[in-house]
Amino acid sequence: MAVSFNYKWFLAVLFALVIQVLFLRDIAIANVAFCFIYVWFLVKAPMKTNPLLLLLGASAIGWLIDVFYNTHGMHAFACVLVAWLRPVFFRILTPANGYDERSSISLLEMKWLWFFSYLFLMLMSHHLLLFLLEAGDWTLIGYSVLKALASTILGMAVFGMLEFFNRPQ
Amino acid sequence: MIQLFQFLARQKVILLFMLLELVNLWAVFKYNAYQHTLYFNTTNQWAASILATTQEVKTYHQLRIVNETLARENALIRTELLRLKSQQQPASKLPYFVSDAMLNRYQALACRVIDQSTQMSQNYLTIDKGRLDGIQPGMAVISSTGVVGKVMSCTDNLSLVVSVLHTSNSVSAKLKRSGELGYIKWPGYQSEVADLMDVSKYKKVVKGDTVVTSDYNAVFPPNIPIGIVAKVGLEKDDTFHDIKVMLFTQFATLQYVYVIKNRLAGQQAKLEATKPKAE
Repeated sequence: MAVSFNYKWFLAVLFALVIQVLFLRDIAIANVAFCFIYVWFLVKAPMKTNPLLLLLGASAIGWLIDVFYNTHGMHAFACVLVAWLRPVFFRILTPANGYDERSSISLLEMKWLWFFSYLFLMLMSHHLLLFLLEAGDWTLIGYSVLKALASTILGMAVFGMLEFFNRPQ
Repeated sequence: MIQLFQFLARQKVILLFMLLELVNLWAVFKYNAYQHTLYFNTTNQWAASILATTQEVKTYHQLRIVNETLARENALIRTELLRLKSQQQPASKLPYFVSDAMLNRYQALACRVIDQSTQMSQNYLTIDKGRLDGIQPGMAVISSTGVVGKVMSCTDNLSLVVSVLHTSNSVSAKLKRSGELGYIKWPGYQSEVADLMDVSKYKKVVKGDTVVTSDYNAVFPPNIPIGIVAKVGLEKDDTFHDIKVMLFTQFATLQYVYVIKNRLAGQQAKLEATKPKAE
């Protein structure tokens, strides 16, 4: 069961990366909303994932994206930060009756409020850091925040839609 | 050592996190052209501003030395100025020349004020040069803006100066415009204002006239500025103008003064002592 899951997982991440690099790279809505679908692997990684593995994976995938985006280190930086913040977000969003041991992160198993709060925190921290790092200029902070916010909203819509393809087993 | 490894093992997540972030951050600034220049510009800016601040602090601490140097240089310039002034031909048709001794009679020496008062009715200054520097009682003391006073007594390294702000210290003065003679006397209050006495009420005095030391002054070189006429009054049954003079010298903030040595003072005193005394 674990092996087949990892296999599917690996394919999904690869697919997200390909989509990101080949199609989404050149797409920006109104010049402010960018879609970073590759963050999917961070969002959907099982709750009990080894944090070391997650950090290393985030760094590696971030690097890979950076290579294609010509933004060496920026995506990797943001990804590693988000990977590290993930347990913090889990703690902040702990439901009243705690987490179910087996629960995975999906709209089916979590309340939609929890899911979208979690999405917002993850995407916003990643995008904000990324855009600030990219701008590298405090005078552009307003524009960077706007871009991060727009991209986060777009991201939440996209990830929400992706959840509908997740059929109950 | 084992404890260290245990600590590292316990903190491995945060350590790995920091390591990865450092590597990524390094990559950001190393391989991105914009961030690379940004890094260099920023660091340069910081370095430059730190260096500038350091320089400013250093300059501030050197101000004392700079002031001293400037004061010394001013003393030289003043000596030269007094020499040139005495060289000036008076407005007369008579053939006149100035002897070398007269030309070089004044010499200025810069001194630092180390103690002073302005609030008493008898005010004194203490300066940091004394007999060993060639200062003797009776010498004139001026500042960069005007008269200050007269040396009263000296020790080997210090001197006491009677300020103009002293009720029994008067300075022979004249009005620069009309040449009217009088003397400056301080009434004992208000360190900015003194009285100009002995100017006849039949002479014309205008507010704003400059008051300078007179040519017949035993202490001061001629034409050292004293102040400007601030108020001209006249008491009904008085023979003289009641003139208030705004002093040029800011006594409260005085830091450096110049003692004027008059090389011919001794000769003059000796000579004038031979005057037959009036019975």
